[in-house]
Amino acid sequence: MKERTRETLTAYTFLAPLIVFVLIFFGYAFARTLYFSFTNYNLFVPPTFKGIDNYAQIITEPRFGIALVNTLVYCLVVTTLQTIGALLMAIVLNQKLSGRGFFRTAFYLPSITSSVVITLIFIWLFQPRGVVAYFINILANHGGPIFAFVIITALAQAFQVWFERRQGLPAGPFDPALLVVSLLVGLVGAWGLTAFGVVRVTDAPPQLFDWLTRQDRVGGVVSYPLLFIIIQNTFTTIPTLMLFFLAGLQGVPQSLYEAASIDGTTPAQKLRFITVPMLRPVTFYVVTTGVIGTLQLFDQVSLLQGTAPLESVISLAYYVYNNVFSPGGEARVGLASAAALILAAITLSVVMIQRRFVVNDEGYS
Amino acid sequence: MSLVAPVNSARPLPDAGWLARRRWSRAGLVYLTLILCSFVFMGPLLFATLSSLKTDPLEYPPRLLFEQLNPANWAAAWTLGRAGSGDGWLGGFAPGADVSFTTRYLVRQGQQPVPPEVVVPRRRPGLAQAVAPIYAADYAKLEAPRQVSATPAAMPDGSPGQLVTYRFRVTYPGQGPKAPKLPLDVTAPIGQVFAGATLAPTLIERAGRVQTYDNAAPGFVGYLLRNYVRVFDNARSITTGQSLFLQWMLNSFGYVLLKVLSTVLIASMAGYALARLAFPGRGSFFVLILFLMTLPNQVLFISNYLVLRDGIWGLSRLWGQPGGMLNSLPGLWAVTFVSLAAVFLMKQFFETLPRELEEAAKIDGASAFQTFWRVIMPNAGPALVALTITTAQGAWNEYFWALVALQTPDDRYTLPIGLNALQRGYGAASDYSLILPGAIISAIPVIILFIVFQRYFIQGVATTGGKE
Repeated sequence: MKERTRETLTAYTFLAPLIVFVLIFFGYAFARTLYFSFTNYNLFVPPTFKGIDNYAQIITEPRFGIALVNTLVYCLVVTTLQTIGALLMAIVLNQKLSGRGFFRTAFYLPSITSSVVITLIFIWLFQPRGVVAYFINILANHGGPIFAFVIITALAQAFQVWFERRQGLPAGPFDPALLVVSLLVGLVGAWGLTAFGVVRVTDAPPQLFDWLTRQDRVGGVVSYPLLFIIIQNTFTTIPTLMLFFLAGLQGVPQSLYEAASIDGTTPAQKLRFITVPMLRPVTFYVVTTGVIGTLQLFDQVSLLQGTAPLESVISLAYYVYNNVFSPGGEARVGLASAAALILAAITLSVVMIQRRFVVNDEGYS
Repeated sequence: MSLVAPVNSARPLPDAGWLARRRWSRAGLVYLTLILCSFVFMGPLLFATLSSLKTDPLEYPPRLLFEQLNPANWAAAWTLGRAGSGDGWLGGFAPGADVSFTTRYLVRQGQQPVPPEVVVPRRRPGLAQAVAPIYAADYAKLEAPRQVSATPAAMPDGSPGQLVTYRFRVTYPGQGPKAPKLPLDVTAPIGQVFAGATLAPTLIERAGRVQTYDNAAPGFVGYLLRNYVRVFDNARSITTGQSLFLQWMLNSFGYVLLKVLSTVLIASMAGYALARLAFPGRGSFFVLILFLMTLPNQVLFISNYLVLRDGIWGLSRLWGQPGGMLNSLPGLWAVTFVSLAAVFLMKQFFETLPRELEEAAKIDGASAFQTFWRVIMPNAGPALVALTITTAQGAWNEYFWALVALQTPDDRYTLPIGLNALQRGYGAASDYSLILPGAIISAIPVIILFIVFQRYFIQGVATTGGKE
């Protein structure tokens, strides 16, 4: 009995600093935000109670609606892109290759630098006369040869596969040995057609395309600055998520693939019927983590202030911040608190789904 | 690898060679894909690093090779720096300087070569300078350019002409202060085509007629890392005149140090208690932590900002004046004192340690604290390293809380917030010659950390789920 009391005391002593921190900066903070969401506080005048007015006001506020749509669209697109990209890269990297460590490092390096650094570099890359514009210009000017290359390669591959199959050899449509030859044929062919002037390299000047200040939206939904953030964030999160898939892939028993090989399955079938089902727990984890992470979009939006129009990029998280520290306006803490709680509710429901379906957290490690 | 499609004779079953060709081709294609992916993922960072050396990182078309990468210019910069101030590294213009400069022009046949016009301009450096800058123009004595040689050469369009070389000297007679730079404007008459100089000019203006030198006595570092020197030099505090960028770096280092100390200590203690000590409410406390971990920062920052500004329950008197914690490093430290993910990580780790460790210590009569400090912590080495590194990385990159806790004045910022300020100041003018070097400098410590402790990074991601 005495020993148990002592152990309890020891435990609370060990936990004391954490408890104090959590009480002040989490508990008190959460309670106050909840309280503020029912008041009209402005950071200076003591708050007065307003009931649920803030919640009623927020659902009718156009900017909140825009922030919500931006956040959800961003969340959906980025989660989809990064999950597929990370899975494909993990599959390519999950082979017995020398230099695998190097590639893993090379892929992962950009994502350890801060979102600020990467975003600034991307802002520079996506300037109207930046590096991206340069590459787009080159691609546009080489449209003819590129098209010729693709067509010739596809034709060469089709012909070779047909030829080998006629010989009774088990060549798949993407047979690597034939593909190498087809690619070379495509290169030579495209070069030849260009040299003889059949297809032309044009010399058009670059289109001045400003990703970061355009107001219009792709398909009426995604603004160009938001598309910029989508590209940037997909780029930085793919390598991190790839690590999860790599860990997951190493847990797939090799014997499954060997058994499938004996049955004569193609690589595509192996992916479809072995890899993807076996990775389901990891995929679920990656998707939910991605959703939770993308719902918090803040840094990029903040860094684009002064460049991109606010409405084109504003996210829920930035909406909250912007209502508290609004440049030149009065702080609307009540409204911000209500929005923050809505964001928290969305996040928490995703977390609940995650906790409910991921049986044990060790599934991915 | 042959260009000819591998044709197998009449045999229907693939032989060893057929299979081997597939294996090799497959490996080749996989490597090609991986190299392309490396290009995509490393490309932006590498090209930004390269471009951060350029006078204009937004030049179009973007070049891979430019003046700053030419060793001939490095050597010239070194020599000129020594001639200007005796300092081959950072250069400058000091008393006793004797800078000899040559510049070459192509002159069309039949045209009379005319010496260029050389001026030492008074160009104001930087944006916010508290102290009056020292201008080289006030002390420099210019010796007019004279022709040293003329050799027959072809003009750019192929017509005959001559290559004329002029030499001029800039000296600093008498005594005076050292000027950090020796700017030069060299203007050639119409029709003479610039064909090179001792040092490649910083800018060529007015259709090639004016060659502008930001510093004609730059020294090696002052030339190659010009933008990097300017990041530290140009952005200065309006109140103190100190280099803002340096201050931001120091703030960031200080914050990382504080945050790592508190996080490692508190997360280990709490993690140990949650993993190994029995006490009422343990389960619910852990669930509470899991719940709080998922709360977005936006739910917490309003109150935490107010705590920093006004204090809490009258405790602000302990911290001095109200507002004393806002806009200070301790304030930022306080709101991010320990991350709950770190507590979670340490709990998971301590659960993997064998119980025999504690039982042996208990038999020896050690108290719980002694057991923790003498037995448990020494066995937690790898986990502590991993925690230290991921915490340091997270703290160095911390953006949201720094934005909330550090608002004014700008010398209180940490690097990420400072970079945001640089972007607002210079980005609007599309001047990336300060933003890029600033970004690269702030990426370097994390990259070094990553390269040295790569193993722990990847471990950390696998156990915390990449939460920052």
